[in-house]
Amino acid sequence: MRITVIRTGGFGGLTRRATLQTAGRPDAEELAHLADQAVREGLGEAPMGVPDGFHYEVRVESEGSAATAHFADPKLTEAQSALVRKVLKEGA
Amino acid sequence: MNAHRAHSPQTHPVFCTIVPPHLLDQVSRNSDEVLSRPARRTLERDATQRTRRQITTVRHGLLSAAPVAPDIDPADRKPQRTISDAENKETLPGKTVREEGSEPVQDASVNRAYAGLGATFELFLSVYDRYSIDGAGLALDATVHYGEEYANAFWDGERMVFGDGDGELFRDFTLPVDVIGHELTHGVTQYSANLEYQGQSGALNESVSDVFGALIKQHSLGQSAQDADWLIGSGLFTDRVEGQALRSMKAPGTAYHDDVLGKDPQPAKMEDYVNTGADNGGVHINSGIPNHAFYTLAMELGGNAWERAGQIWYDTLTGGSLQPDTDFATFATATTEAAKSRYGDGSDEHEAVRKCWSEVGVTAR
Repeated sequence: MRITVIRTGGFGGLTRRATLQTAGRPDAEELAHLADQAVREGLGEAPMGVPDGFHYEVRVESEGSAATAHFADPKLTEAQSALVRKVLKEGA
Repeated sequence: MNAHRAHSPQTHPVFCTIVPPHLLDQVSRNSDEVLSRPARRTLERDATQRTRRQITTVRHGLLSAAPVAPDIDPADRKPQRTISDAENKETLPGKTVREEGSEPVQDASVNRAYAGLGATFELFLSVYDRYSIDGAGLALDATVHYGEEYANAFWDGERMVFGDGDGELFRDFTLPVDVIGHELTHGVTQYSANLEYQGQSGALNESVSDVFGALIKQHSLGQSAQDADWLIGSGLFTDRVEGQALRSMKAPGTAYHDDVLGKDPQPAKMEDYVNTGADNGGVHINSGIPNHAFYTLAMELGGNAWERAGQIWYDTLTGGSLQPDTDFATFATATTEAAKSRYGDGSDEHEAVRKCWSEVGVTAR
């Protein structure tokens, strides 16, 4: 599974993008669950967000299937928040 | 009860302005907490603040506030601050750690937020005679230590929220007083022109926050326009970052140039306006254009920027002539009209405002 997070907006208006491959990682299964949950909780239209809040686009690709979700601070679920932190920190 | 309902729409955050007027009434009952909470909370506050409430007027199909001096002794106009600690979680508001009038605590972030709210309250009251962000003494709330290594600050429609920074590139977001002023000014905009946070009106919303954020810093330091650095977010970067701040009103596009962050993308002139879908249409990018117009005006007039230049921008923001979807050209016209009406047709101020917009390539309508 390939997870991409694109974070835009925020006080600085800076874009950050990171991709993480789960293959070969000891926490691959855990990450896959987290990604599935985060995307499930973020389907539908991209929210408007709040002034200076971050916007997130998350793409999850695996075995020919792909899903994209959008969410915005400060309304992230625990799974979304954990996934975003992990991918931006450990992804490339 | 009817009176409360009539007042509630004035506190709808800017992102609500895309909601058609006939739906506004439903917002306070919305299942989405971000939308409904501010409205509901205002309904609750109304019960205790009824006597202070402003008169609302119907304008452009939206209810909005016309600032009216509340019936309260000027000497009693004091800030009502509450600082909360999210304890590195993403739950708002967090635990209350400092309230109005209480002694400083051990935590410097808490004290900085408290002082920054005070400095912002003080500028709006003493210079523009505005009693808190809504003009009616609204309590000022902030949350610090939001999230883990969270490199941002935002306005959620009713409070300012500050992260600690990631430590790699960004330090604590309570450090620069102009960042605190910027966030609170989003509240002032929400209660006045309510500029929609998208495209040109969104860039104006951002710019107004930068302008008053910078003025709050200059006012608290006693700096004239010539002495000020005109930077936004100076002190936020760690030593690893090649840059002075996040934005420069003096020279948009030059605030940073770093391996990781890239180059400051702000334009100073309309011909370099950036069309993008990201960041609500580049609201933090294109704000460079009206930011530079304000800087040019302040330098042309000289002296303290919060006096004449700031007064013209404040009159424009709160004067009632701006629609939520105002674009740069319309805003330029409104500032020109505001200068004319306060300082006279053909006055130095009037001429300087016209010149500052032509300097950035914006033609008033």
